[in-house]
Amino acid sequence: MISEREAAKYPFLKGAVSLVETLSLKVDDLADPSYSRVLDRGEQRVSEAILEGIVSASLGDALTEMLSFPVAVMFVTVVGDRFLDRRYALAEAVRVYELLKGESETRIARMAREEFGWNLRLIRRELDGQIYRFELHFTDYLRNAASFHEDKWKLVNRVMRDGYVLLTRVEAARLIQVEVEDLIRKRVSKHGRIALPDAVQERVDRVAKLFEEHRARIGGEELPSEVVSDAFPPCIRHAFEGLMSGRRASHMERFALTSFLVNAGMDLDRIVQLFVSVTDFDEQLTRYQIEHIAGLRGSRTRYTPPTCATMRTHGVCYNPDRLCKRIKHPLTYYRIKIRDFKKKGEGRPAE
Amino acid sequence: MAEQGWGSVPYVAEQFRRFYASRAERVKAPPEIKQREFGFLSFGGRSMFRHIAFDDVNQLRSHLAENTPAHAYYSAAYYSAPEAEMEYKGWLGADLVFDIDADHIDTPCKADHDRWRCRACGEEGTGRAPERCPSCGKAAFEEETWLCDRCLEAAKYEAQKLLDILIQDFGFSPGELEVNFSGNRGYHVHVRSPHVRGLGQLARREIVDYIMGIGIKPEYQGLSSRMRGGPPSLLEDGWRGRSVKALYDYINDATPDAIKALKLGRATTANLLEHRDKILRLLMERHPSSIVRYVDPKALERLMEAAVKEQASAIDTVVTTDVHRLIRLPNTLHGKTGWLAQTVAIDDLEDYDPLASAIAFTDGTERVYVRRAPRFRIGDETYGPFEEERVELPLAAALFLLCKKAARVER
Ligand code: SF4
Ligand SMILES: [Zn+2]
Ligand SMILES: [Zn+2]
Repeated sequence: MISEREAAKYPFLKGAVSLVETLSLKVDDLADPSYSRVLDRGEQRVSEAILEGIVSASLGDALTEMLSFPVAVMFVTVVGDRFLDRRYALAEAVRVYELLKGESETRIARMAREEFGWNLRLIRRELDGQIYRFELHFTDYLRNAASFHEDKWKLVNRVMRDGYVLLTRVEAARLIQVEVEDLIRKRVSKHGRIALPDAVQERVDRVAKLFEEHRARIGGEELPSEVVSDAFPPCIRHAFEGLMSGRRASHMERFALTSFLVNAGMDLDRIVQLFVSVTDFDEQLTRYQIEHIAGLRGSRTRYTPPTCATMRTHGVCYNPDRLCKRIKHPLTYYRIKIRDFKKKGEGRPAE
Repeated sequence: MAEQGWGSVPYVAEQFRRFYASRAERVKAPPEIKQREFGFLSFGGRSMFRHIAFDDVNQLRSHLAENTPAHAYYSAAYYSAPEAEMEYKGWLGADLVFDIDADHIDTPCKADHDRWRCRACGEEGTGRAPERCPSCGKAAFEEETWLCDRCLEAAKYEAQKLLDILIQDFGFSPGELEVNFSGNRGYHVHVRSPHVRGLGQLARREIVDYIMGIGIKPEYQGLSSRMRGGPPSLLEDGWRGRSVKALYDYINDATPDAIKALKLGRATTANLLEHRDKILRLLMERHPSSIVRYVDPKALERLMEAAVKEQASAIDTVVTTDVHRLIRLPNTLHGKTGWLAQTVAIDDLEDYDPLASAIAFTDGTERVYVRRAPRFRIGDETYGPFEEERVELPLAAALFLLCKKAARVER
């Protein structure tokens, strides 16, 4: 069993979870005034996530702190919005990252191994003025770092030998952040209705309202209904213009273009027309493939366009511009461009 | 190519049938056969029979003997229900696979043995098909691809570079690796290790980038003015050493024109031309950051990108990142060559000669009419080039031309 203080710091740990379980808290108990501080802090965790993007590390009252985490998780679960799930999980994970940066190597290693099963070795190696303290097996490394955008996290830019990747202390903490985010996101994504005492429901409603007010600012917006081709990222523009001029495109390029158009909301008939008019593609087949990508057939999942990193791998990231430096996904590029258009008050170009 | 009968499909199918009737027992089961999906292309068939599962190797062998497929594949993935439709298969993981195909390597011999023809206007040319037809602008071609010793050597060289990276950098033991000649223009490398099974697409993409050197940045290989120096890194493990070695080789080998063509800026280009020996000596004797005063950061990035291509391995990016991929089953026949796909022991790869070892049909001869074929070798004999002529050839050579649709049986 871990200490209350430890459980307050890292309330997602297996030990912390079972500590809370021994208290066998019931939802109805929460209405009791003695829990109001726990509810306050729980609500605060979520609003901090919405407003600041990070949950503060107030470690004053360990018991309150520890209990407020499952309460906050419950709030988010009941609100039941995928975007809030992500926002909250990330904010909790950033909090953990900040705390971990102050921990010893052995503490970091213990958490990584015991909670997340990392194949990790403690070492000390100095290279180019950096001090590396860990060697992590590349599979554990990739599970967490593969989604990162910065060059320094690409495996090709790491020092790797015999399957182990060198990490500094801070880098290890950063990778644990990803594990924590995943773990918490899994916990909050089990949406469901629970009958709550009024005092508790009130708080859920407040959190939900706060989230709605800030949804647009923090980027959970929907895309416009018409397709704005002036907002296409360079890769998609290139693929689009290539298609129009009859240039031969790789499978990946065609997939990227189609899935992009589908997700940007272009009418399926229009997409089919586009392909058929400029190539000698068979209409039936083209329609079938596009409907597949749109999730109307087969597995019924709509395909999203590949990420920028995937585009790069397959050689279809074409001529990235300045905005590309800040984004990881062609659709994000599109969203930002559209937001800029709106801000500048430019009329929407007729597409 | 609308003429009937090129390739004499029924004849080839009959030869394949005889082969499998007597030699299907040489086909081995892939590990954990029950969790694999199989797929087959039949002669003349256009669509793949997939979602097929076998309980054991005997079922697989009888399937081959009874159905005589032109191509046989199995999944790199493991499924709980391999015979189900994709969404119900229950993906359990997948081997990490790499495909090296001479198609993706720019060998100069392609201009000698490959041809294309525009479907719209009939324009023809040699080498790889262009992006668009130079005469009508359309983009649909018929392509005729052949292979030669140079193609196969190039593919093997890429496979060897890949194996080095997998063993030295990724730490796989040779026992976790299987190398197969594909039966046509390349090699497949399978990594079977509990570590890699669960890797998702993102992780596999990072592995692809690592192997191809995509996204490599000099400042993370020790080449930054912020670095304080230290020993030379040329002989270090991983990309840290490999990238500097790549730079060394590139700067050493590049002609002044090639350096100029990289458009590295006036100062850097001048430095590379005037101080080449000095730069090379620095790379050899000092910490690599000592060259940054000769090459500005942007130019260095460009230079490194060009340089690492030679050290990286040219794998197919799509195959490795696709976790549902079907891969050719070793010890089966390849319908486009009549050769065997076969496993090659890693230690034997260096001396492996597919044009001798992967020949499946060793007895008899056949008379064929050849419309056109470049020179090719099988075993110790070379044949061709042929154009519009009747020849009697050993069965393996005749089948090769038939599988390539370049000939038909004369009876
Ligand atoms: S960075 Fe992304 S959005 Fe920009 S061109 Fe490349 S793939 Fe497209
Ligand atoms: Zn043409
Ligand atoms: Zn060749």
